[in-house]
Amino acid sequence: MSMGKFKKYLSVVAVLAAVALVVTGCGASTTTTTGGGTSTGPVSVTIGIGAPITQGATALGLGMERGAKLAITDMNASAEAKAAGITFTSTTGDDQGDPKTGVNVANQFASNPNLVGVMGHLNSGVSIPASAVYSRANIVMISPASTNPALTLQGLKNVFRVCTIDSVQGPAAADRATGDLGKKAVFIVDDSTPYGTGLADEFGKEFTAKGGKVLGREKTGDKDTDFKALVTKIKATNPDLVYYGGVYNAGALLSKQLKDGGVKVPMMGGDGLYDGQYIKLAGAANAEGDFATSVGLPLAQLPAGEKFTTEFKAAYPNDEIAAYDAYSYDAATVIMKAVLVAAGKVTAAKVTSPEGRAAIISAVAATNYTGITGAIAFDAKGDTTNKAITLYVVKGGVWIPFVK
Amino acid sequence: MAGSKMDIRTNVQSKGWSRGKIAFAIFLGVLVVFAPVLLQGFQTMSFFVRVLGIIGIYVLLALGLNIVVGYAGLLDLGYVAFYAMGAYAAVILGEKFVTAVQMISNVGLRDFLVSSQFIVMLPVAAIIAALTGLALGTPVLRLRGDYLAIVTLGFGEIIRILATNDFLGLTKGAYGMMAPVAQPLGLSQLQLLPVAIPAIGFNFIFSVNLYWYYIVVLLIVLAVFVVRRLDNSRLGRAWVAMREDEVAASSVGVNIMTSKLWAFALGALWGGLAGVVFANAQGFVSPESFTFMESVFIVTMVVLGGMGSIPGVIVGAALIAGIPEMIRGVAQSPLLAGVIDPTLASAISGYRYLVFGLLMVIMMAVRPQGMIPSTRRAQELHPEDEKVLEEEDQSLWDLKHGADRSEHDL
Amino acid sequence: MALDTLMQQMVNGITLGGMYALIALGYTLVYGIMLMINFAHSEMFMAGAYVGLFTLTGLTNPKLVGSGTVAFLTKNGIGLVLLFTIVFLIAGVAIGLLGVIIERTAYRPLRNAPRLAPLISAIGVSIFLQNAVLLWVDSKALPFPQVFPIVNIKIFGNASISTLQIFILVSVVLILIVLDTFVSKTRIGKAMRATSQDRDAAGLMGVNINTVIALAFFIGPALGAVAGIFNGMYYGTVNWNMGFLPGIKSFTAAVIGGIGNLRGAMLGGFVLGIIESLAAGFLATGYKDVVAFVILILVLIFRPGGLLGESVVEKV
Repeated sequence: MSMGKFKKYLSVVAVLAAVALVVTGCGASTTTTTGGGTSTGPVSVTIGIGAPITQGATALGLGMERGAKLAITDMNASAEAKAAGITFTSTTGDDQGDPKTGVNVANQFASNPNLVGVMGHLNSGVSIPASAVYSRANIVMISPASTNPALTLQGLKNVFRVCTIDSVQGPAAADRATGDLGKKAVFIVDDSTPYGTGLADEFGKEFTAKGGKVLGREKTGDKDTDFKALVTKIKATNPDLVYYGGVYNAGALLSKQLKDGGVKVPMMGGDGLYDGQYIKLAGAANAEGDFATSVGLPLAQLPAGEKFTTEFKAAYPNDEIAAYDAYSYDAATVIMKAVLVAAGKVTAAKVTSPEGRAAIISAVAATNYTGITGAIAFDAKGDTTNKAITLYVVKGGVWIPFVK
Repeated sequence: MAGSKMDIRTNVQSKGWSRGKIAFAIFLGVLVVFAPVLLQGFQTMSFFVRVLGIIGIYVLLALGLNIVVGYAGLLDLGYVAFYAMGAYAAVILGEKFVTAVQMISNVGLRDFLVSSQFIVMLPVAAIIAALTGLALGTPVLRLRGDYLAIVTLGFGEIIRILATNDFLGLTKGAYGMMAPVAQPLGLSQLQLLPVAIPAIGFNFIFSVNLYWYYIVVLLIVLAVFVVRRLDNSRLGRAWVAMREDEVAASSVGVNIMTSKLWAFALGALWGGLAGVVFANAQGFVSPESFTFMESVFIVTMVVLGGMGSIPGVIVGAALIAGIPEMIRGVAQSPLLAGVIDPTLASAISGYRYLVFGLLMVIMMAVRPQGMIPSTRRAQELHPEDEKVLEEEDQSLWDLKHGADRSEHDL
Repeated sequence: MALDTLMQQMVNGITLGGMYALIALGYTLVYGIMLMINFAHSEMFMAGAYVGLFTLTGLTNPKLVGSGTVAFLTKNGIGLVLLFTIVFLIAGVAIGLLGVIIERTAYRPLRNAPRLAPLISAIGVSIFLQNAVLLWVDSKALPFPQVFPIVNIKIFGNASISTLQIFILVSVVLILIVLDTFVSKTRIGKAMRATSQDRDAAGLMGVNINTVIALAFFIGPALGAVAGIFNGMYYGTVNWNMGFLPGIKSFTAAVIGGIGNLRGAMLGGFVLGIIESLAAGFLATGYKDVVAFVILILVLIFRPGGLLGESVVEKV
């Protein structure tokens, strides 16, 4: 008995020792490859894509991955990258929309010596703790989707976002609702995420300030599918608009169930709803006449936008453009352009060195680039100065810019 | 074997340690203390320190839940509630503490107190979590096994939903809360001692991840010490008696309610401590960290490792919390950049939960009693498992008489 | 004014409750016989919705079955009855078989294991199935085609009931009656009840335990699949993680009713559905789950065995 036990312990010791050996061995071997990597060919650097892939809002996360990868392909084909002697690769870190896993991913990115920047994350709850990790490693981070104001209020120099914050989009939506649309009584629903709650809060404030009436305010979950009871409640208050702060997955179902339940007024939301999938899930007839605001000018009005749509269709024939694909494309492009600028300053081989990373951060801060979502530049906090908000409406089963 | 199964006397652990065991303990100690230093030193491996820290938090949680599930035999599916209580207490009260301390005029003392706020919060949060355990336990502990499980599940969800809805304006709802202080006590001093051996690419800086890793390890050592003492205490024996047969235990003078409440409170306490460490190591707390799935994972750690067995629970937690991260880490690590294609690496890390689910099923089929089963538990009679035990005896009988068990199921 | 809102919420609640009841039956059947919480049951619900969706899409695709058939199946009453009968049968049988396979591979080796081992195995199955759908089917939510003609019928003031709600409720009630009769009247039903009371004694009396367990693992998942399709038709979408919330809710419903008790699961389902709707409608939507769980705790404090469960006898 004790002999058998001793053997068991011995085997565990052996396994652990083997692991320790592998670990130290690996550490040593890496350094040799890095040491030999300063050769003549193009320097390969990595962009980290932090997004929920296997758990959480995977549809949006996969969209972010698509957008960023498309940007990398485009950049690698461009003359400027070739001239600088840099090729970009990506590594996707699946944060599962979970803060703990997100910080693990951030640490893994930080431990990658070839990493030049991070395009991510989706959830504010992930972006905020992860941003501190990137800050310590001096890695630039651009979120395409995290709208919680706290993200850029931490005073971290390396943190940027290309999406607009709730306090810009919410009021803009309320202005259009009370102005152009002439809505007077709204029922507000949010999905209990920082994004949805913030948007709904800001919308409600401005709507009241513009003389509108908020008939009710309810919280639902971002994974909820059953809104029947809520619909009955909304119906009883008789609003002329329902505002939903949240993402299309649940938002589409709310819109469908509203119409099924006889609430024949349009639903309105933010960029989280502005997605082809919204119309598919709600059903074109139900979604008809629903509104969504989104940052920047309509894709069709920007030369780059049309190109993006064609390229996207070619690269991903089976996928629709999701809410953050274009932002992710822009975020990744901003990082890569900054890398090229930094390469001009410190040479291509040194962009991943501490001074290279510092140069990337200052280059991002000085960004002045017209992307797919519009003109991108950052203010002192790292928020985008692109505050153009476009109102879209579903007409004939597609999102089109709203014209009065 | 059959004889020992019928022996209901608890197995008093022998005090003497064999030489092999001592050697193993020393080796393990050295590994736990120095392996992270080594990992931290090599940039490409440094993120494993963070993974180890997270594993440590789960080990702490699993040790705490083990008191409830393994020792007292109560299934708790809402253990994450105590973890959440600890984390939120650390942030909300930590903030208050820091504000209060700001009034001190002595700069040195003030800075010391500010940076050591989490140390003050550890006992505070532990007490709050334990009291929450008592408050929940008092009305519902009378419930039988699985009824208790669903009530604890409900309680866990209630805590999360209250936090999401900014209950009483305490939690800032979905926005989440930042930890009060970024730089913990002594970290900046420790960071003054970098060690670099450029020849092998070793460049060690005492990272914040390493700091929290050591804090967690200290708490785990404390937990193991306390739990071992508990196991051999009067209370521990009361739990064994209760787990085996509640009625018999109460008839020989074990107060069932008190014993259960102690188990609940003492289990919850470690959840609270883990919450404080999590909140500070993470720097941010929001409701999405405390979902029902977290509770499920902690239960899985305890059962997969071996209920009531301290080494088992530690191994279980390390595997469950570590495997998915390790798969990801190895698949996407730049170490293998030349070996496997990045698309394949992404695919592998995408498949890790599929594999993980499959492994759980296989593990249970191979070792249903857990990886390192508790020797004491294996020798007990379980009131709830009476049927199981009979069947086990029966199968033993079958074995002796060379009969196939399936023939009995006609 | 408030009265018709109340009526409407009751209609909502009863429909929701009907779906909970169907899922809860699966939990309670397995628990009654195996004393295990079948954590993977919520994935039967999810998988059922997918099979139903694909069958329905296939049968209404003119390219596959011809436009004449599609017109017949979707445009008139008999066709619709036939269409949905086929959809529910295929999904029910497929998921029932999936349940049996899971029992055979994942749970049967654990029949004599410690009580929590099957629970962990079930969690493993659940994680596996979710990720299988996520990786191999679709990571996005899929819309459920609206083939069923939905008409709102006014019943009281502004309150109305839709044809779909009537369809769901009538089907649920029929299924419940059939199942109840099956379990209380037939020979194999008696065997199931005997097994749930004392597995070993039932085995000694000549009951084939394996058949009974397999049957429980066929019926439960099949009912879950039916509920999954209802869910898809009613809310309009299917999704790889759609099983989770209804899963824990229905488990709660089974416990409220008294786990292991079939009629209890039915009652618990309806009670929980109605409570949720009323809480969402008259309190705050964000707190509806809190209300549901508080009611659960209260029920168990005053009736520790659930509403219809036998009073708990401490084992001696």
